[in-house]
Amino acid sequence: MSLRKEVIQLYKTLLHLGKDYPSGYEFFRTRLHKAFMKNKDEKDPEKIKKMIAHGQYIVKELETLYMLKKYRTLKRRYDL
Amino acid sequence: MSGLIKSVRVLSRNSSYLRAVAIRPLTVIANKHKNYDQPPVTSSSVFAPLSQRLVLPLERCYSSKPPLTLKLITDRVLLVLKLYDKVNPDKLTLDSHFINDLGLDSLDHVEVIMAMEDEFGFEIPDGDAEKLLKPADIVRYVADREDIYE
Repeated sequence: MSLRKEVIQLYKTLLHLGKDYPSGYEFFRTRLHKAFMKNKDEKDPEKIKKMIAHGQYIVKELETLYMLKKYRTLKRRYDL
Repeated sequence: MSGLIKSVRVLSRNSSYLRAVAIRPLTVIANKHKNYDQPPVTSSSVFAPLSQRLVLPLERCYSSKPPLTLKLITDRVLLVLKLYDKVNPDKLTLDSHFINDLGLDSLDHVEVIMAMEDEFGFEIPDGDAEKLLKPADIVRYVADREDIYE
């Protein structure tokens, strides 16, 4: 049950982060939904934990993506 | 000095709020004029109406919301659900079960709850969110939270 909570929390975090995704929120949302649905029958706690860790990695990657995007925009704008 | 008075007068003419703010400097200026033994040119015409207008409304409405009623909450919940792309608006009623009747999965349910959080401006904890399986449940939850009764 706590794993289920963790997965839902991860889903919420990712959805929230996806609101500014470059290809659009809709694009991100459908992909995210599919990615989660693909593994909905997974029962092994170890595997689920691995997937959650992978999700956390994606969260970090998204944050990095936004930071880079911001940095590049500023760089272009001020021609540093 | 008269230039200052003029600028303050222009300010005080512009809005009632500025008028209230400008009162103190004006009286200071008036006192100074008394000391200089020089009658202020327009003091009576400015001050007499000012003292009458001094009464400020005691109640201030900074960013008040329209009062929520059960009907308003219901309408807003149903509107959010209608705008959600995976819900069929024809099947939607207050008592339709998200998962059994509307064909949403648990992830969609999470999205619905997030949309409700955005709509009503407070967070719904995960433990409570799991129990909100019908639009009627959400309406009751929001009403409880905002202290709305019949």
